[in-house]
Amino acid sequence: MDRAAKDKALLDRIGIDQIARNARARRRGQLGLALVFMSPALILVVGVLLVPVLFNIWLSFTKWKKFTGFGEYAGFANYERMPGNPFFNEALINTAIWVGASVVFPIALGLGMAMFFRNLRGAETFKNIIFIPRILAPTAVGVLWFYVYAPDGLLNRGLGLVSGRDVDIGWLYSDATVTPAIIATFVWQTAGLVMVLLLLGLAAIPKDPIEAAHIDGANRWQIFRYITLPLLMPTLLMVTILSVLAGFTVFDLLWVMGANYPGQRSLALAVFMYFEAFQKGSWAFGSAVAVIIGLVVLCVTWVQTVLQGRVDRMTR
Amino acid sequence: MKIKEKLLGTAVGVMLAAAPAFAQEVQLFHDKGFWSEQLQSVGDAAAETTGVTITETPYANAEQYKAFVQASIASGETPDMFTWWTGATFAELVSSGQIAPLDDLWDEMINSGGYGEASKELFVVDGQTYAVPLLLARWVVLYNKPLYAELGLEEPKTWDELMSNADAIVAAGETPFLATVHEGWRGFIWFQELMLRMHPEAYNGLNDGSVAYDGQEVRAVFEAWSDMYAKGYFSDPRSTEEFNDYVRGAGAMYLIGEWAAGLVVQAGVPADDLGVFIMPNAIDDAPAAVIVEGSPLVVSVDGAQDENVMKALRFWVSDEGANAWGDATGNYIGNNSAEAPNAIVAEVNADIAETSATAYLRWWEAVPPDLQGELVAEMNRFMLDPTMKTADDVMATMQTLNAAYWADQ
Repeated sequence: MDRAAKDKALLDRIGIDQIARNARARRRGQLGLALVFMSPALILVVGVLLVPVLFNIWLSFTKWKKFTGFGEYAGFANYERMPGNPFFNEALINTAIWVGASVVFPIALGLGMAMFFRNLRGAETFKNIIFIPRILAPTAVGVLWFYVYAPDGLLNRGLGLVSGRDVDIGWLYSDATVTPAIIATFVWQTAGLVMVLLLLGLAAIPKDPIEAAHIDGANRWQIFRYITLPLLMPTLLMVTILSVLAGFTVFDLLWVMGANYPGQRSLALAVFMYFEAFQKGSWAFGSAVAVIIGLVVLCVTWVQTVLQGRVDRMTR
Repeated sequence: MKIKEKLLGTAVGVMLAAAPAFAQEVQLFHDKGFWSEQLQSVGDAAAETTGVTITETPYANAEQYKAFVQASIASGETPDMFTWWTGATFAELVSSGQIAPLDDLWDEMINSGGYGEASKELFVVDGQTYAVPLLLARWVVLYNKPLYAELGLEEPKTWDELMSNADAIVAAGETPFLATVHEGWRGFIWFQELMLRMHPEAYNGLNDGSVAYDGQEVRAVFEAWSDMYAKGYFSDPRSTEEFNDYVRGAGAMYLIGEWAAGLVVQAGVPADDLGVFIMPNAIDDAPAAVIVEGSPLVVSVDGAQDENVMKALRFWVSDEGANAWGDATGNYIGNNSAEAPNAIVAEVNADIAETSATAYLRWWEAVPPDLQGELVAEMNRFMLDPTMKTADDVMATMQTLNAAYWADQ
């Protein structure tokens, strides 16, 4: 009997085929059980997320007709319409402004506050107060600030007191002031969260390199620039990505605070999409705009994943 | 056993008796949440008279509501009874083929003597009538009678008299007209009125593409409008309390649908202090005209086959239904054999009868829906900066949008 035949005879005696069959059956059973346990989440994700997203993508390639539903396949016609629409172009520019502002201001302010409060005794109360706006619903924040910015609102009255004359600026009615005013509200609401996230990041930085730098004679700026900031990069990156996404998809504040602004539809892409889809009933075109927003968000998320990996390797 | 059988028989009997009662309910879908309570009061009155309860089902805003109706119709689940808008968007709805013609009902309504042919016109598409009125509101000027008396002013019969009154009101340190951009839809109110009073021949042409938004007629309107702003005739367009501004006496005249009269009185203005007139024409020899806002109540093709739905609809247009709705809201539905909901409506009815005023559909409903929001936003933009420089830009933008829309049709 050769070696191979001996091995087979041995395996037959052990019953290896039966063992493999049992293992496969066990795995099948485990998979079934896993599917049972996962089914609520799967149903939710597929039903509430995937199916609507796929439906939306499909819709964006059709000629939706009011009341009769899907028309014929439209190819990229809905996408080709976008650049020719003046409101779309304006919304795109405003969205870019929003993305830039929602990264720069909340992070600058949040980082400044985090550095200030980091080692301050009794700072907890202030931190909590600064964080409170984040737990308020954006709609409520919008209504609140709508009245702050009203022609006879708190801001104009305050400016009137300071300047000693009547101030009657329509902050939410003028092209020049509406976007900065709403961005200021956004910063007011989000800077607290950024501060908390950066405080967590700062707390995770080891003290040894900072103490070593002190001993070596580094000043506070040099310590911040060459030690704190690089070690804070993973947190800063995450905060930046979150801010980009928040700036790109902002809607609630613009919807509430820009309600009386004539150019409301072009305040941002998300608002433009809502107007097209729901006010004009151009669901297919609105879906195409939503797909573009979704694609950009996906790209940003991908960039975050790549950068996060690099930063993790750098700081390891 | 016998007891059990008796009990079972009784239970089945009760269930059978109760079944029609449960079934006799008709849902009325709408986007007018501010009238929920009032609509339900009419629904309850319908139950008392016909045995069919109309249950109002509101949607939070017009966009959500439109999306719901569009999706329902596209999926073949058209609501049995619901409200809509007149004009171009109504024609779109009818083109779905899911809305029942109501010509037979209108024949009954007109033969009863309560309704006129003119009321029906708003709901006619391609020769057939597809709705009954939820509301027929003439756009009129409500005015502050005590202030008029104090300044020795008379109700204006001509444009010159209206302007003269406005001058007197400004001279007295008051604001003649209330007009705001609040909620984004109000910009068209003065535009449509000035257009109708200055260029009635061009009014309808705006909505079929034959009159340009940067043409001489529209330019003349913007010039007059800008001039009125320069003279201090209008309130701050940024006010978010236009209605309360009138109640507080912050403006002498309020150009609005007559449905506002009931609300003004409910808010505390004594009915006797409230006057009304139809805006006079700005050009000589123009026929008397009034802008009408009609809100249609429609039934689906399937709904029209349902006896309960038709009972509910018949109740709505009956004298009793019109009275219940009028009592609850002060709204008029064109039923002249019912009681006028209030003195303002009665006076407007009398004025229209006397002058044989022609009804013009409100711009908001008449304009193609694809243009509605974008054009009114431009009008709002003008109101916030009522100079001819802005007007030029506004007219150019409106015409660009208008031309692009009609080129695509």
